[in-house]
Amino acid sequence: MNIYLLDDIKKLQLHLTYQYQLHQIVKNNQGQSHWQQISTDQFPTLLHEKAQTSIKDFFFAQQENILVFNGEYFQETLPSPNPFVLFGVQSCDLVAVNYQDKFFKNDPYYQARRKHCLLVGLDCISPCEHGFCPTVNAGPGVRSHTADLILHPLVNQPLEKPQWLLIEGSEKGAMAIKHMTIKGQPLETAHWHYLTQRDLTLKACKQKFSDDSHINIAIEKINNNNVSAVFWQKVAIQCIGCSGCTSLCPTCSCYGTRSIKLPNDNISQERFWDSCLYEGFQKEASFHNPTAEAGKRVERFWRHKFSDGIATEFDRYGCVGCGRCEQTCPGVIGVHSIMKRIANDA
Amino acid sequence: MVDDLISTICPYCGVGCGINLKVNELGQLKSVEPQSNHPISQGKLCDKGWSTAYAVTNKNRLTQPLKRIKNEFFPISWDEALSTIAVELNQILDDSGPKSIGIISSARATNEDNYAAQKFTRTVLKSNNIDHCARICHSPTVAGLKQSLGSGAMTNSASEIFDTDLIMVFGADPTENHSILGGHIMQAHLKGCELVVVDPRKTRLAKLANIHLQLNLGSNIALVNAMLHVIIKEKWYDENFINERCNGFKYLAQHVAQLTPVSVEAITGLKAVDIYQAAKHYSQAKRAMIFYGMGITQYMSGTNNVISLANLALICGHIGKNGTGVNPLRGQNNVQGACDMGCLPNVYPGYQSVIDTNIQTKFSNAWQCDLDPLEGLTSMGMTKAALAGDLHALILFGEDPVVTDPDQNHVKASLKKLDLFVVAELSMTETAKLADIILPAASFAEKDGTFTNCERRVQLVNQALEPLGVAMGDWQWLQALAKKMGSDQLNWKTSEDVFNEMTSLNPSYEAMTYQKLAKNHGLQWPCNNENPTGTRLLHANTFPIGKARLISVNHTDIDEPTDDEYPLSLTTNRLHFHYGCGSMTRNSPLLERETPPGILFINPENANTLNIAHLDAIGVKSRRGYIETRAIITGDVPIGLVSMPYHFKEAPSNQLTNTAQDPVTKMPELKACAVSVIPLPKGVEPKSIQQLLEGD
Amino acid sequence: MMLNHIPDSIEIIDYKDDGKDTRHYRFRLLSKTHHSHWHETQAGQFFMLNVPEVGEAPFTFTEPPNEQNEFSALIRKMASVTSALFDLSKGQIVGARGPFGQGWPHTILKDEYILIVAGGCGLAPLVHLINTLIATTENKKIVLIYGARDEQSQMLIAQQKRWLKTITIYHTLDQVSEDSNFNDGFNLLKGTPLDVLPQALSSFNSLPSKVLLCGPEVMMNSIAQTSIGRGIPETSIYLSLERRMHCAVGLCGHCYLGDQYVCKQGPTFSWQQLQSFRSTA
Ligand code: SF4
Ligand code: FES
Repeated sequence: MNIYLLDDIKKLQLHLTYQYQLHQIVKNNQGQSHWQQISTDQFPTLLHEKAQTSIKDFFFAQQENILVFNGEYFQETLPSPNPFVLFGVQSCDLVAVNYQDKFFKNDPYYQARRKHCLLVGLDCISPCEHGFCPTVNAGPGVRSHTADLILHPLVNQPLEKPQWLLIEGSEKGAMAIKHMTIKGQPLETAHWHYLTQRDLTLKACKQKFSDDSHINIAIEKINNNNVSAVFWQKVAIQCIGCSGCTSLCPTCSCYGTRSIKLPNDNISQERFWDSCLYEGFQKEASFHNPTAEAGKRVERFWRHKFSDGIATEFDRYGCVGCGRCEQTCPGVIGVHSIMKRIANDA
Repeated sequence: MVDDLISTICPYCGVGCGINLKVNELGQLKSVEPQSNHPISQGKLCDKGWSTAYAVTNKNRLTQPLKRIKNEFFPISWDEALSTIAVELNQILDDSGPKSIGIISSARATNEDNYAAQKFTRTVLKSNNIDHCARICHSPTVAGLKQSLGSGAMTNSASEIFDTDLIMVFGADPTENHSILGGHIMQAHLKGCELVVVDPRKTRLAKLANIHLQLNLGSNIALVNAMLHVIIKEKWYDENFINERCNGFKYLAQHVAQLTPVSVEAITGLKAVDIYQAAKHYSQAKRAMIFYGMGITQYMSGTNNVISLANLALICGHIGKNGTGVNPLRGQNNVQGACDMGCLPNVYPGYQSVIDTNIQTKFSNAWQCDLDPLEGLTSMGMTKAALAGDLHALILFGEDPVVTDPDQNHVKASLKKLDLFVVAELSMTETAKLADIILPAASFAEKDGTFTNCERRVQLVNQALEPLGVAMGDWQWLQALAKKMGSDQLNWKTSEDVFNEMTSLNPSYEAMTYQKLAKNHGLQWPCNNENPTGTRLLHANTFPIGKARLISVNHTDIDEPTDDEYPLSLTTNRLHFHYGCGSMTRNSPLLERETPPGILFINPENANTLNIAHLDAIGVKSRRGYIETRAIITGDVPIGLVSMPYHFKEAPSNQLTNTAQDPVTKMPELKACAVSVIPLPKGVEPKSIQQLLEGD
Repeated sequence: MMLNHIPDSIEIIDYKDDGKDTRHYRFRLLSKTHHSHWHETQAGQFFMLNVPEVGEAPFTFTEPPNEQNEFSALIRKMASVTSALFDLSKGQIVGARGPFGQGWPHTILKDEYILIVAGGCGLAPLVHLINTLIATTENKKIVLIYGARDEQSQMLIAQQKRWLKTITIYHTLDQVSEDSNFNDGFNLLKGTPLDVLPQALSSFNSLPSKVLLCGPEVMMNSIAQTSIGRGIPETSIYLSLERRMHCAVGLCGHCYLGDQYVCKQGPTFSWQQLQSFRSTA
């Protein structure tokens, strides 16, 4: 795979818009970072800040109709989006998409969207709030198998003359920039020593993350079954079942379904994001509920993020260290809070 | 159009969390997310907030005006709807006078809508017959705190939860009803703040608390008086504060002199040492905050309950400082605003009395018309007047009294007697079904305006979507209706115009503008020339009445004790995943799944005696009514007490609850009555109240 | 890519009542567009019934699809999907997806001594298996314990009477009324299946080589534990679990059990498997 040097990122953005609809992280007027479609050629600057909502809903929609029934037959309704590029995705979110790609391997709706997407990753060169990607092997540098193209901001560049490394991550990424020229010239190939420089920068970034030994200690306790049911029941008192963690978690994928009537009187089956922390999640028609106890639900959620069983199946833990749940949990049992408690009191 | 992320305020409870609406390129609401930099919610939402999209885009939304002919509704145009209403209203005004029409506005609507509603009532209909739902939630707060402190709102701010050493939660279940605030309390507690919970039920917070006083239903005053006794006897009170800032200490001390903890053991069901400990911890804490809810207000003694909490805070000097105060947790997102806007029969905007002639002059000059010098009817007064044939027309918006009102059957009968009943709503509610004309209301996502949260923070609501169908915001159709009636009293172009007119008349909102609200994530009133950036904390130097009043109050027994026929006490509660009458939250398939429609919490021991298994169908009977529902067996309610959420139209708790009232505010005693519970035969489904009443 | 989410159309061709609120339904597949394994259905596998405008729910086959594309299921009226189905008449079209999940172990055909314990509706997932066992083998000893709350909630009585010729059946009822029929060929007892377990076990010459369980989880747990106590190996005990299901293909998450999904790795499990999942639950 090739690496290039890039002075002007706008050129890359522009080039990609010839083939793809461009989406990028921007801030709204209240200062909130979110993914937005960019439809002008006034390209916003790249934000080194993850969006509060991950990119999973580009592929696994929050609500979608999956079929139509006309009174006689059931037919699938697959989405067919235009090709789009997610430009400047942080490593944690890319690793999560990679995880979801495996999970949804046979899901036609997910794959119908996924195959139209080009992922342009962006290396993080300083830690974000609550993030701990290095501890769960998900960042801060973009893993090459998770992105089609990777951008790395070169440090030690004068402010007015920023420079980027552009690294090909996949065949698809290579194709996307194959014909890109700048002022009539092909892209400038970068010497391999830039990759060494990238490694150094990323290593330095890793050093800057605050101590999160509690995560590793807790992972071990969880997998050695050293966390008692009583402990889970106790912390679960704090779970108000808001669904915030599961909505923001980039690897959560539970959904519910319901049958609905379409405006043209056809019937559809809708699927929508669900949360395993709702009391009713496993409740059966008979009212029997295997996870009626909040402790069981909270335990299940965290096992799903940190159990070795999952790690064997997906080659990694379910958690990618983005820290979103820590911020959004009203009950103070987001990832750092709970893992600290497991490490200290369980 | 591209997709966009619009920042606005959650439409559910009084916490007022910041919520962002994600709108796609087709202008449809795709999803919601929390505002990460919001001063209160800080990137969090509760389950109601997270499911807002289901409430806004649900298929049951009304999209055009409807007119009832016999028992069916037919779509009509706005023009026809408003003309019909205008003609009838004018007719009624001519025939029976202004007193024969009433308006009930909504604690869910914006300040602008509420301001318009009261102005419409006062200047177009020319009466003070305007009210909203606060009566069944927090009227004792307004009455009680007004007497003790001179102002009936939360004295402190949500953020001070993190600045205090002890939090005492009295008859409130914040993690369920004000979840994000409840979460703050849990967070503060985990960081070391002491937590004392006073509640007959083992609430979530009670399970985490340092001290849980699981008192008998309706014994709040007895408990507080005994705490006062201990604090005074042990000299744990704040002498300086009492001398400088309070009146009535001597009488209060005399009043509680004999009320030892031991003397109230029987009434409260608490051990004297526990009362003593709670008194000690509260009074000795450097800073201590009281939060209370409907477990205080929804009693016959509601107003006195509130007064007694004020006494407690006052003698310990736990008020007027950072991290202290007496803080009511109010239910609906804009119940504070609806009161502030003067949607009350006795006050203009800003709690300015309608019978004060100076104030009358001020408003009649501003509005350039004569005003009714007498107080109007409360919502309950309107119900009575309608039954008596004195009220002929009622316009009601955003409320579902047929489900939520304490006296359902009464309300229904009275609404049926009206000549004209107009309802503006999002979707077809039980109340709307009785209307002559239904107007399709715009949802919070479809309008600009402001909400005032429980900590007096006025926050901007920003339009994210086009109104569904021809739905309209309330002030807009009120304005159109006024025009049809021949009045141009309501004359605004934008919500901001309405707001600006209001601030010019409401001293506590005086210095607010939309720009300033946008810049500061909202501002807390009073916000005037002295406090241009608002006020976090009330009563820092003085009370609106000068010195606060320590008022001696007595315990009163609950009106309806248990007996052989009705051996269980019934209280009401709320579930965190539902809101009010459920007309919004129950559209979410996720929230609706959480429980069967209608449940009763019962202690395992009582269930056992009655031979009731978990989720069995049961009948519940009181002197006033009978409903069927399902049993949830849980140790969270003590033996002898059963509890029922009021969100379900199928099994409304208010068929059962007592109508005995607080003498001051007419607040009914919703929190305590006597019932009997019987298991239904196996395999029988509980019948909904509709089926029961129709004898189906 | 497999479109496992999309039902094939089926027609309701017949139904008849079986006890209170329970019916035998007979369906015919009208299309086999989205699912190609209908005719490979194993005993114990399930399908998702789709009642348009209402929703989906899992049911086991009491008889798998035959050459005429007809199959049967025993359905008890429980909540919205089943209530809606009960309101439909013959000839109406609904949907079905399947077959899904793992059925009862194949090796069972080789077993000589089989104990089956079912509670309430839990007999339905066993009907196809029992029929197969009876049809394919002689020289087997099969004992069935069937527990129900009361007489009204017993199901498949006619079916069971036919089985009586070949297998021993014990009935238990939580509540026995005055006029309960003790002489219908069944051994009737007031109590729960656990109460007759010793008796049933001792009716075998040696221990049963398979124990199959289906019913409320408490019942299955207690029977399994007692059986293990009597020396039956954990690998010989099988049970079928009930879970709320939406997708039936291991995606929606609703049927989880530890790290496993009941719709994929189940609904039948050996007791041993189940213990290893539960420790990760
Ligand atoms: S706590 Fe209240 S304001 Fe906040 S999200 Fe929940 S309902 Fe909305
Ligand atoms: S039913 Fe969806 S994962 Fe099993």
